[in-house]
Amino acid sequence: MNRSDALIEIDGIRKSFGDFQVLKGISLSVQKGEAVCIIGPSGSGKSTILRCINGLIPIDEGFIRVGDHRVHEMKNEKQMRPLRHQVAMVFQQYNLFPHRTALENIMMAPVQVLGHDRAEVEARARALLKKVRLSEKAGSYPGQLSGGQQQRVAIARALAMHPEVILFDEVTAALDPETVKEVLLTIRELVEDGLTCILVTHEMKFAREVSHRVCFTDRGLIVESAPPVELFDNPQDPRTREFLGQVL
Amino acid sequence: MFGLDYSWLADSAYQQWLLMGVLNTLKLAAISSIAAMLIGMLGALGLTLRLFWLDALIELFVEVFRNTPPLLQMLFAYFTLSTLGLKVTDPSTGLSVPLLSAFACASIALSLFGGALAIEAFRSGIDTMPRSIIEAARSLGYGRWARFWRIEAPIAARICLPSLTNILTNLFKTTSQASVITVPELMYYAGQIYNDTFRTLEVMLLVLVIYVALVSILTFAMARLEAFMAFPGYGKGH
Repeated sequence: MNRSDALIEIDGIRKSFGDFQVLKGISLSVQKGEAVCIIGPSGSGKSTILRCINGLIPIDEGFIRVGDHRVHEMKNEKQMRPLRHQVAMVFQQYNLFPHRTALENIMMAPVQVLGHDRAEVEARARALLKKVRLSEKAGSYPGQLSGGQQQRVAIARALAMHPEVILFDEVTAALDPETVKEVLLTIRELVEDGLTCILVTHEMKFAREVSHRVCFTDRGLIVESAPPVELFDNPQDPRTREFLGQVL
Repeated sequence: MFGLDYSWLADSAYQQWLLMGVLNTLKLAAISSIAAMLIGMLGALGLTLRLFWLDALIELFVEVFRNTPPLLQMLFAYFTLSTLGLKVTDPSTGLSVPLLSAFACASIALSLFGGALAIEAFRSGIDTMPRSIIEAARSLGYGRWARFWRIEAPIAARICLPSLTNILTNLFKTTSQASVITVPELMYYAGQIYNDTFRTLEVMLLVLVIYVALVSILTFAMARLEAFMAFPGYGKGH
């Protein structure tokens, strides 16, 4: 039934917002445990790809499979819920729930959506806070945390759902340079733990060090896809060369 | 003092009237405030469903009851509805009497008027919800209802609380207009007393103080609620 043994399989997806075609036929497959970085200029459709994978944005055309879920066939939120349990997402603006503390933010979805036991979830949430080095901030509200701390809580919140895949959408873009490091360190540990990650990022150095594969997108297409050493040191496509020439 | 004569206040009949007036004012305000909140919540909830005809219906309701004077609404409810046939025959006297009492008419009119304003207040709270928060909730697998009750509503409630305070204080003061359709609330008894005693200035001064005191209790309670519900980064939170 599945076309390949990849965990995530995307084939020929197209998406338009009004007259503007953001994705013009994106194909990508991701193996279990793989960390894939998507780089490219602003407006090239990077974030849209992530949002198509977990169904936040419906696609116009194409095929998306995550595990056993055929995302392109899902019509409503209810059908997407099992998918959302499997795929977590971390956002550029953290998007924590402002009326709940850090600990509650992590516990909410496992208790309220998955129906897990509250005490068990709390233990899990505290362990995750420890993992992201924020144990002492359990009782703080998002408004009392720095950007980097909020982002690490958001990562812990994603992990609490026990996802198979985490989508990272420019998670360091809103942070100041010192705090970027602590967030990247957290992500690096997840990749080393073998969690499947797809990261949209502008951190070229990080993409190079952490990912198994880098995809360069431009104007709605994946122009080039290769292991980081190849893509950064020996880019094949002139557009990749031009982009890397500007950012490196 | 200042030539003011409050000797009538010693009369137990007038004391009784004032007390009854205050109680009826509180009763009318409480009933219409609670009903207005419920209407506001239901209306705003209805608007989140984004159904074309329901939206049109709720917006029509808001336009009608927000854009007409509450006094007119009460007069309409009191005189027109009974003329239109909302009457019952009193079994003891055999006379035809209006189905709705003056108090009921005033309660209904004020509830609908306050409800129309409350719908707009709640809607503004829900509409200003950052889209990113909704996206986060969806990505965590929240369904529509769970998302609304667990995330959107608690945040929206905090955002719209100040405008809600405004609506409730206005509604409280508007109860005084119910005296026109003979609801025996504070303003009504005030009229009775100065018609009796001709001490118009004295009676009005006292009524003014009573209204200030009652509304202050309300605004104080709402301010406490706002402080209690505040969370860091929003409104009164630190």
